Amino acid sequence: MAEMQLNIEIKRYNPEDDDGPHWESYEVPADPLDSALSLLLHVKWHIDGTLSLRKSCAHGICGSDAMQINGENKLACSVLVQDLVDGDGDTITYAPLPSAPVVKDLIIDQSRFFEKYREVKPWLITDGPAPEREREQSPEEHAMIEDATKCIMCGACTHACPSTWADPDYLGPAAMLKAYRYTFDSRDDGAEERLDVVDSPDGLWKCYTIFNCNEACPKDIDITRWLSALKRRAATSQASTKA
Amino acid sequence: MAQTNALNWFLHRITGTFLIFMLITHFWVQHYDHQAASVTHEVVTEKNEMPDYPDEAKEGVRARLGPDAAATPYQVVMQRLADPVYAVLWKGFNILFLVVALHHGFYGLNNVMTDYIRAPMGRLIARTLSWTVALGLLIIGMYSVITAGW
Repeated sequence: MAEMQLNIEIKRYNPEDDDGPHWESYEVPADPLDSALSLLLHVKWHIDGTLSLRKSCAHGICGSDAMQINGENKLACSVLVQDLVDGDGDTITYAPLPSAPVVKDLIIDQSRFFEKYREVKPWLITDGPAPEREREQSPEEHAMIEDATKCIMCGACTHACPSTWADPDYLGPAAMLKAYRYTFDSRDDGAEERLDVVDSPDGLWKCYTIFNCNEACPKDIDITRWLSALKRRAATSQASTKA
Repeated sequence: MAQTNALNWFLHRITGTFLIFMLITHFWVQHYDHQAASVTHEVVTEKNEMPDYPDEAKEGVRARLGPDAAATPYQVVMQRLADPVYAVLWKGFNILFLVVALHHGFYGLNNVMTDYIRAPMGRLIARTLSWTVALGLLIIGMYSVITAGW
């Protein structure tokens, strides 16, 4: 595909002026190897400076530009135009992540997302005194959590989950993946504390293994698999506690 | 404090696995295998005719109900559940099927309800009501299975 003109449709919303969200269209020049983010930046820098969006590193590390692109939750900087359109004149749609309050345009209010994140105690909990040197971990032990450590907290998974759409109080895959990451960390002693949090009416058991989180994750983390491991751990933990 | 639903989640897995095999068995015996005295042959075909059961089934119905009794689908099922040899097997199968299906279905229903009912009291009421309905269906179902063929 050569250089082309694309139609960009963006779901806009300004709470100070608008009654509700609405779609606006823009004509944008694009190269197949442009990122979806660069088209938005073209709109903001050359067509309409009032467009609001989050972005920082623009290289798939900071996780700030997750949004719904062509109806799917993606990281705007990590998806290429050639993977979104067939050719000249095609349309790409951009909308904020679903099931979160919109601050403005493509920016969602992430406070609830990070509240859930903090609930699962996403830090190392240890019983003993701090060692003189680093806490050691074998490659095999690290392999258990390596995939989960790749999470960049973009929120694409949590806002792709139908359980989140139905129940905003649901902890969601991102927070519970963090719970998995620390619960299965060989250096951590806080498994029971964390399992108490995820084993709740709005926690682990509302994951129905729909796999939307896996599809949305820009880092290809096998989230459903790790949440299933966490469920087994919670179930066996409950069984051993009762025994 | 944990509000564990771990046991129900675990049972949901187990009942799901059971249901795969039990549903296949149920559909095969009840709806497809003519020689095993299917009951809805006339329903699943367009002939609207009574299925032609094996002589053993016809004789069994006549022995139980009298020489003029016809081998209707209902009577053939009752015959299977009254059979002195196989009744325990089929009644056991149907009761297990009932328990497994009720748990699987109502646990799923509870999950859906708690997706949309978020107040703790509302959830408690919904959970209590739904499991009460499940218990009612269990009693009706068990009564039907146990007394079938008597």
